[in-house]
Amino acid sequence: MDTTLLVQALVSGVLAAGLYALVSVGLALAIGVIGIVNFAHGEFFMVGAFLAYQLFVTFGIDPVWSLFIVAPALFALGAIIYTSTIRFVLKAPELNQMLLTFGIGIILQNLALLIWGGDPRTIAGITYRGIGYQIGGVSIGLVPLASFVVSLVLVLGLYWMLARTPLGRAMRAVAQNRTGAALVGLEVNRVYLVAFALSALLAGIGGVMIAVIQSPTPVVGFAFTLKAFAIVVVAGLGNIRGILFAALFVAVAESLVATLVPNGDTLRNAVFFAIIFAVLIRRSWRTA
Amino acid sequence: MIKTARFLTSLALAGLLGLASAQGVSIGILSPLTGGSAGTGQAQRAGFELALAEINAAGGVLGEPLRIIIEDTQANPAVGLAAFEKLMTEDDVEFIAGGFSSGVTLALVESFRTFQPIVMWIGGAVSGIGIDGFDGIEELIGEEDWFFHIHPWDYHNVGAATAFAAQTGSETVALLHEDSAFGGPGSAGAQALLEEAGMTVTLREAFTSTLLGGTGDFRAAISKAAATNADMLYWIGYDSDVVPLSGQIRELNFRPQHIFGAPPGWPTEFAAAPEAQCVTGLIGFMPNLTNPEAIAFTRDYRAMHGVDPDNYMAALAYANLWAYADAINAAGSTDQDAVIAELEAGTFRSPIGDWSFEPSVIAKHQGFGEDLWLVFQYQNGVREIVWPIEKATAPLVSCR
Amino acid sequence: MSASTRTRRTRPAQFPWDLVGLVLLAVAVAFAPDLLKALFGRASVSYLSIATNALSLSILALSWDVLARTGQLSLAHAAFYGAGAYTTALLARHADVPLWIGIPLGGLAAVVFALLLGAATLRLRGIYFAIATLSAAEVLKAVVHHLPTGIAGGNAGMNVPTLFRPEFIAGQMERWEVAFLRNEAYFYVYATLLCMTVLASILVQRSRLKHAFTAIRTNEEVAGVMGVRPARLKLLAFVLSSVFVGMLGGVEAHRVGSVLPEQSFSVSTTVLALVTPIFGGLYTTLGPIVGALGLSSVQEGLRRVFSDGYLIGYGVVLVLSILFMPRGVVGLVGGLLRRRGKREAGR
Repeated sequence: MDTTLLVQALVSGVLAAGLYALVSVGLALAIGVIGIVNFAHGEFFMVGAFLAYQLFVTFGIDPVWSLFIVAPALFALGAIIYTSTIRFVLKAPELNQMLLTFGIGIILQNLALLIWGGDPRTIAGITYRGIGYQIGGVSIGLVPLASFVVSLVLVLGLYWMLARTPLGRAMRAVAQNRTGAALVGLEVNRVYLVAFALSALLAGIGGVMIAVIQSPTPVVGFAFTLKAFAIVVVAGLGNIRGILFAALFVAVAESLVATLVPNGDTLRNAVFFAIIFAVLIRRSWRTA
Repeated sequence: MIKTARFLTSLALAGLLGLASAQGVSIGILSPLTGGSAGTGQAQRAGFELALAEINAAGGVLGEPLRIIIEDTQANPAVGLAAFEKLMTEDDVEFIAGGFSSGVTLALVESFRTFQPIVMWIGGAVSGIGIDGFDGIEELIGEEDWFFHIHPWDYHNVGAATAFAAQTGSETVALLHEDSAFGGPGSAGAQALLEEAGMTVTLREAFTSTLLGGTGDFRAAISKAAATNADMLYWIGYDSDVVPLSGQIRELNFRPQHIFGAPPGWPTEFAAAPEAQCVTGLIGFMPNLTNPEAIAFTRDYRAMHGVDPDNYMAALAYANLWAYADAINAAGSTDQDAVIAELEAGTFRSPIGDWSFEPSVIAKHQGFGEDLWLVFQYQNGVREIVWPIEKATAPLVSCR
Repeated sequence: MSASTRTRRTRPAQFPWDLVGLVLLAVAVAFAPDLLKALFGRASVSYLSIATNALSLSILALSWDVLARTGQLSLAHAAFYGAGAYTTALLARHADVPLWIGIPLGGLAAVVFALLLGAATLRLRGIYFAIATLSAAEVLKAVVHHLPTGIAGGNAGMNVPTLFRPEFIAGQMERWEVAFLRNEAYFYVYATLLCMTVLASILVQRSRLKHAFTAIRTNEEVAGVMGVRPARLKLLAFVLSSVFVGMLGGVEAHRVGSVLPEQSFSVSTTVLALVTPIFGGLYTTLGPIVGALGLSSVQEGLRRVFSDGYLIGYGVVLVLSILFMPRGVVGLVGGLLRRRGKREAGR
């Protein structure tokens, strides 16, 4: 095996971890702080992707800048959805939350189908999708590099916010003990609202990134959501930094297998989920 | 008692569903209108709607307005089966049109055989020919009198693609294909034909399409193709793979002479993307075809739907409904034998030009074959037709 | 909840509503095809097709619920379904055995996979369990996809012959009657599977298993202290929850004529298995069935009224249902009945 290919596989894998972490971080917030398993999270990616697309088509706004419009828009969408539905099921069993968010997901997906149709869309006319820096026969893609940096900033930023800011402390408090937090005077509902909206905002950023890399379609969020759930769970609920390591591990493993094994790309999901499965099972038998 | 109950229930149902008393000819259509294949289904529906408007403006069928009833298959076999049986037994249609997804088509085979309506089918391109131990659509029902297949079979697709590849002067080809019933058999057929034509296939590598659970990171597969330094990269995938594949080919600095893709459709706006430059693609219809039928179709389609008929499924659906209208009118009745005879004998209109049903390897009635396919190339933001030569609007250019 | 359990336990002999319900269900499905034919004539073919899809969803939902009663929220039901479908298809293709043997063996294959999965995930709870089962299902899908083409068809899948091919006798019958006979036969197979699933569920609910399952769901450690053996019972729940889904996968492979990795191991199967019992009412026999019939009717009704965007209406129904019926359809109806009962008792 050519060493250049091997190095390329490692580089591609490390950079791919950025996107994985990026799509996972918002979900981690929703699960970790509110304890809600949001089946509609993938549709937040999709809405973010289509908004970036529409801003580009209608106003010619480059996704680099529309990020700053899409993110607040998704924050607002998250706040609306929280206020109108989620807050009523906070104390309900988690299965009820799943059904609720699944329903919301179906609505968003089929609204998108009505508005944008089923054909894949493209943010054309951006110059950076095909740019790669060539170093000794190995290519470092600009877009993967950017998503890597963005996700690093977001994950560390979120970590810092949770650790150091009053809002973050409030979030950790309600995550650990809702009643206790209410007793010491925290407005639990307000904290949840912000956490859920923030989770949607992060999904919106992921969505813009997806719109740059891929074609927005009504079902574009699905594959990412499955993997994001797995990464969040393997990292451990509430462990924001763990997402980086989990994403890095699975992404590099995927990339290596995809490169070294014939037809390896079709084994990506198998490798990914086999690792997730093995880690969860091993951990459960070791610690209990 | 039962009669009264039956009468009352049917009355209630009719009222509930708003069923108009069915006069004139009805054609039942099966299409995936929701889910991952919704884009194809919507294009088909748009094509059917345009044809319907024209047919009825021209006097309808047998002197009455033609009706179409479109059912969503969700690209799900069990749902598609129920939808077909609804069309046959609740809507009492005698003619079936539309179709997509080989999984759904395989689910319908048994019930098709039972009802034996005339089925004029756009989708289900998996012939089965060349796959050991697997019976495809053509092998299963191709010989039936009542079955008319419009879309080219898989071997037509790769036949056209390799014919194009052969005249690009490429000596080596790297094949990347998505790994389902669409890309798998297609790429195997392509490899055989490319080698038969004297080319060397340096790599045949599968990837997971973004339509089927992939997250669109194709760098590993592309790197491997790049390492073989092939003259041509030939990929078979879905519409939503176009953007990530094309971007990553550039990003990884893979510069073959020709990048050739064969998805069912191309994202409309992709033409304006820089990484589209010099990419070639297989397609069944293009709005910039210059034959008068294509010009009229594109104009009317745009007027009705506000967009270009970029997905060739729209053109095939249009041809599908017009063939029914013309054949039934020529037969003078909905008598099945008479309509089959007219379908077999007739020449029909389509945006691509006149066409008729001919036998294919097994099938008695095959609409379009290799001759449907065009190859276009993105050249400075415009899609130019580069193959076949007689339809070309510009010469093919190399990417290097 | 604990109070009502206690009162029920002290009451000696309760009228067996559940068993009577099962008999009624069996009688109803036995006559349903002929009744539909008498009422609607040829349209009965279509109604049977829709009803069979609803039965399929019922089997899936009730099976999922049985496992959920132990607190294990499975995201692996597509794998049970796919294991059954592929086993049946493989036997039909490679083994010279009667077609019918493939279906129970499909159930057996699902059970074997479920036991392995159940044993591995014994110590996982909540979302950790859910993601582990989802991962296992995705891995099994990939394994099946990558089996040699000569064995399992690879990416092209395999043909599966139909179980029923009623003969058309020209002059004596119409074509739709052939379809009716086929759909009726499949309907009975599905209905039998559902009755078996219902019986399994009822047996669980009537035995001490019900309380053991509830105890495990509520607090596994405490259940262990109380003398319940969680590991064994959780595995038993896995068996009960997978066997009929595996058989369903096998029957459905025959009915839709093929197996394909994406089709037979679709995540949407898993999601429907979970959503339906929540909609109908969890941890009951009736709830998942009501949920399946309700959701099937809602979807079928909506698609007949709205050609475009009918799934938006479907999503709205799901959202509203959980906001206004947090304990599902059965929970809502049960609650209303109990309230009325109390009012009348107070009078």
